[in-house]
Amino acid sequence: MRLGMFFREALRSIRANAAISVAATVTALIAVFILGAFIPSFMYVRSAVDAQTAKVDVDVYIADTATVPQVNALREKLDGLRTDGTVAAVTYVSKDDALRIMKERLRDPSVLDELPSNPLPAKFNVKPTEAENADVIVAAVKDDPALDPTEGIVYPETTADRLLTAAKFVQWAGFILIGILLLAAVLLIGNTIRLSIFARRREVEVMRLVGATNWFIRWPFMIEGVICGLVGAVVAVAMLWGIKVGVVDAWAAGADSALTKTGSAAGTIAFPLLTLVLVGAGALLGAVGSGITLRRFLKV
Amino acid sequence: MSDGQDTGRPEFTLVQVADTPSSEDDLAPMFTAPVTDGKRHRNDIFRPGPGPMVEFRGVTKTYGGGARGLDGVSLRIGTGEFVFLVGPSGSGKSTFIRLIIRELRATTGEVIVGGRDLSTLRRGKVPYLRRAIGCVFQDFRLLPDRTAAENVAYALQVTGHSQKDVRRRVPEILALVGLDGKFDRLPRELSGGEQQRVSIARALVNHPRLLIADEPTGNLDPETSLGIMDLLLRINRTGATVLVATHDQHTVDLMQMRVIALDEGRVVRDEESAGYHDETGEALA
Repeated sequence: MRLGMFFREALRSIRANAAISVAATVTALIAVFILGAFIPSFMYVRSAVDAQTAKVDVDVYIADTATVPQVNALREKLDGLRTDGTVAAVTYVSKDDALRIMKERLRDPSVLDELPSNPLPAKFNVKPTEAENADVIVAAVKDDPALDPTEGIVYPETTADRLLTAAKFVQWAGFILIGILLLAAVLLIGNTIRLSIFARRREVEVMRLVGATNWFIRWPFMIEGVICGLVGAVVAVAMLWGIKVGVVDAWAAGADSALTKTGSAAGTIAFPLLTLVLVGAGALLGAVGSGITLRRFLKV
Repeated sequence: MSDGQDTGRPEFTLVQVADTPSSEDDLAPMFTAPVTDGKRHRNDIFRPGPGPMVEFRGVTKTYGGGARGLDGVSLRIGTGEFVFLVGPSGSGKSTFIRLIIRELRATTGEVIVGGRDLSTLRRGKVPYLRRAIGCVFQDFRLLPDRTAAENVAYALQVTGHSQKDVRRRVPEILALVGLDGKFDRLPRELSGGEQQRVSIARALVNHPRLLIADEPTGNLDPETSLGIMDLLLRINRTGATVLVATHDQHTVDLMQMRVIALDEGRVVRDEESAGYHDETGEALA
């Protein structure tokens, strides 16, 4: 492959059509920037939703009157759900534990000292492997004789459902948005390259007349597209880096910030990987954009 | 040409004008030079054989809307011939030429070039056909942002020649067409005659066995035109088939070569050693 020569041809073409090359580069920059801002935001939202759904757990309250064999039978039932993969963990919380936790949560624990006896029932705290499994757990134990008649089973049914819907929505909306963004970027770059080719269609005609094969004509244009895409991507990454360091990191550093409370930064993409993805996307955008556009000019 | 030795070729004395290269150089080595580059051989799509270089068999070309470019043209142009194609504007000269380089396809009939029937030539082979044919146009068709040397180099790069080959052959061929010292000029910095010499150099650099010129002197003054015709004739003397479409009555009369006259898409005259007009002296243009 005469790559060196094609590369020189591409550089010549960029120089000769500086304005159009700049336009293509800026288009790539904008596309990659939006993509680069969107990917971590999308992943952050998803990790936040995941974190919330992970908190969906089922509390199975035990009646004070339940006998030890009854409680053991209930525990075995729940352990059975763990072995078949429905449940991730089962924790026994005794009446004393429940009271202690309650005390820790209250601003003024002294009110509990007034109580004549411990009114809180013991419970099994059950963590489903998937939020959807909560229903299975409830169905399995809802008629158990050991259940506390007043408390029974408590789990945030509506919260879980809403979160699940939200998670699915975020996921699909994310994929669709990324798809639209990429398509728009390809079309924009393609359009820009078309301008470049249109400005030189006489030149392309001459190339064909002296017997240049389509690929011989195509290579420099595609390299030109890749160069514009790469330069745009690198500038976009630099801008994103600035925003990350200057804005996002500073925001996340605040201990009470909403960011650290609702999701984890670890759930989003690492910056070096993001850089790699974006630079790759830029190069691909340039190549595909110019490749598609050229097809129409190289017929006959 | 480093040696400038005369190889015994008959002296060409038809035209001598100031614009021609001063050294009585010999073009022959450009065409008889051994083909060392394997790619060129592979790219050569002409079928060897004693047949004509160009053959039209009942060729009709109809454009959209019913306009006729050519109407039942049959003729042969033998290997090594020098042929003028004459006729008024719209008579079909350009259609004729564009059919040979497969810019157009015949509506009916067969166009056979170098033994290849162009109607069955695959699209992927068209670039190779065009490499085997040198083309010169009235408007030169040079790449405007490239110097004379780079324009010629492009035709070599297209055929896969190495940088080394390019560096060696481009100055040779430019010197040959009389452009010594103007290698680094852009087309707009050259006169019309000089630009046409660049385009001829580009057409020649791949050793075509068929050279086609469409109104090569249409934009040039008479003296410069004669210089260009002289160059084409010398190329023909090296064995290349040359086909020149022209309006240039003076040159055609002077050179007395085979003349094919077209009118409204038909061949109205085909004569050896003829002038621009037929015997009755009736003007065709």
